[in-house]
Amino acid sequence: MTKFASYLAFAKKSFLGRSAYRFDHFMGILNTILRIFIFWEIYRALYGGQSEVDGITLTMVATNFVLSMGLDAVFFVNDYYLTDRIQSGSIATELLLPVSFHGRMLAENLGHALFQLIFHFVPAVAVCVFFIGMEAPAGIPMLLLFVLSALFGYGVLWTISFAVQMLSFWLINVWSIITIKNVFINVLSGSMIPLWFMPDWMRGVLRFTPFSSIYFTPVQIYLGQLSLSEILRSFLIQSFWIALLFSIGMFLWKKGQKKLVVQGG
Amino acid sequence: MSFIEVNGVSKVFRVSSRTAGIPGMLANLIHPKYEKKQAVNDITFSIEEGEMVGFIGPNGAGKSTTIKMLSGILYPDAGSVRVNGYIPYKQRKSYVGSIGVVFGQKSQLQWDLPVMDSFELLKAIYRVPEDVYQKNLKRFTDMLDMTGFLNQPVRQLSLGQRMRADIVAALLHSPRIVFFDEPTIGVDVVGKETIRNFLCELNEKDGVTMLFTTHDMQDIEKTCKRLIIIDQGAKVYDGLLSDIRSAYGTTRQLDVEFNGDCTVAPIDHVEIRELDAPGGRKKRFVFESKEVQIDALMSSLLAEYSIRDLTVSEPEIEGLIRKIYSGEVAK
Repeated sequence: MTKFASYLAFAKKSFLGRSAYRFDHFMGILNTILRIFIFWEIYRALYGGQSEVDGITLTMVATNFVLSMGLDAVFFVNDYYLTDRIQSGSIATELLLPVSFHGRMLAENLGHALFQLIFHFVPAVAVCVFFIGMEAPAGIPMLLLFVLSALFGYGVLWTISFAVQMLSFWLINVWSIITIKNVFINVLSGSMIPLWFMPDWMRGVLRFTPFSSIYFTPVQIYLGQLSLSEILRSFLIQSFWIALLFSIGMFLWKKGQKKLVVQGG
Repeated sequence: MSFIEVNGVSKVFRVSSRTAGIPGMLANLIHPKYEKKQAVNDITFSIEEGEMVGFIGPNGAGKSTTIKMLSGILYPDAGSVRVNGYIPYKQRKSYVGSIGVVFGQKSQLQWDLPVMDSFELLKAIYRVPEDVYQKNLKRFTDMLDMTGFLNQPVRQLSLGQRMRADIVAALLHSPRIVFFDEPTIGVDVVGKETIRNFLCELNEKDGVTMLFTTHDMQDIEKTCKRLIIIDQGAKVYDGLLSDIRSAYGTTRQLDVEFNGDCTVAPIDHVEIRELDAPGGRKKRFVFESKEVQIDALMSSLLAEYSIRDLTVSEPEIEGLIRKIYSGEVAK
């Protein structure tokens, strides 16, 4: 247990560090609320007064946006964690600490994410529920499974970033790749276009990608759209992606460390 | 088996090479060219527990790269490193808990936070027991005279203060081995002296093994008995500081102040330098001790000229090292 004390220290530092930027924080909450409102308004116009399309009600759409965009605010991953450290050369001093690099990165991201959950997700979702409304969870067990599924979803999101960031060792600047990665996540994870409305062939393709595991799976569980066996399978799929992407990331990390060049000094 | 073993270690960096300007930029975009730079070339040495070794060489000699391989940050391309039974780059996480490293050019303190907060964070990361932490903190901060700025944010510290804070940060977990990469860079004379005394005491009383690089020869003279000199990635000297003097320091100089202006006739194997204006009262005679007997030179001068004062001096270590760098002495 003491082993976690080191990582806890990083998480705590990261959590406390967030409170330093108050204005930025309030603007962030406003940003989330605005995004949810805008997407909800677009879909309200698209529904044109109909109560449901393909069996999906407008409230379900609202629920999708509130949850996936709310989680998007919580799911903090610093995509430039490694790049920044390689570019500034501070990777040298950080490798001197007796902690694993990925463990430290996860701890700092989680500290930040916890802050976001309490001080960003809760107020933003409260405002949206008050003005837009959303579906109630399909029972307490489903709510708990939703939380668990969301945690796994964060794992998928984090490991995607982890694996992509490792390219910094070779490319030094990974801005373009990170941007492409984020476009894929935004469009294909269901946070902008609920995956219900994707054509069947597209949903077929997406089944072989990690993106729908991030936000859409937890939302489906919340709404009670998945049977128990489907939920079980969704957890297996999420675990598979986490294991695969993490292995790729660690493989690249080991390779990259060998060709690390410490800039300056 | 020595405490620190470095065996035939090499490290090559690939550096981008392109000609300046727009044509060079375009050429680089289509067909990037890289050059291989041999930062460290087949270096071998060993250090025993409790030793304090100076590691010097001109800029770009490969000192920092070697230190980084010793501290587990960089992988060597060839050869092996073994410190206290660990292979640093392979067992980094467990290894670095037993060492301390200070990079004079890179701070490991949290820029925005007071010094104490960085110390507290390090205490948590290294899981230093409370009593050990308090004892070390009190002792080091007293010795380095730091009590005045422990609660100031790091960004507001002077360079000398920051350096002292960085040194303490690297020692809070009582490491048995400490690597210093230019710990006195940019520090004023008083600050340097404080740091040197601190390092000496730590080495003598606690038996901490130390290896440090510097460009200030006084650092070496005042702290280390042993010296390793590298140049262009290769080791050129490894031995006692005092041996450098006897091996390479065969040059002697005799400063003479005459009673009145005079000119001295040329003497075989002796270089005569004017310390005043040409033909003035003060002159310096430089010669090799194996070619010229100092008593013979002195007596012949005393016999021929009226002399007020004579001083014989050994060459300064700095001059010797400059000679080793520039290849004047056989390696």
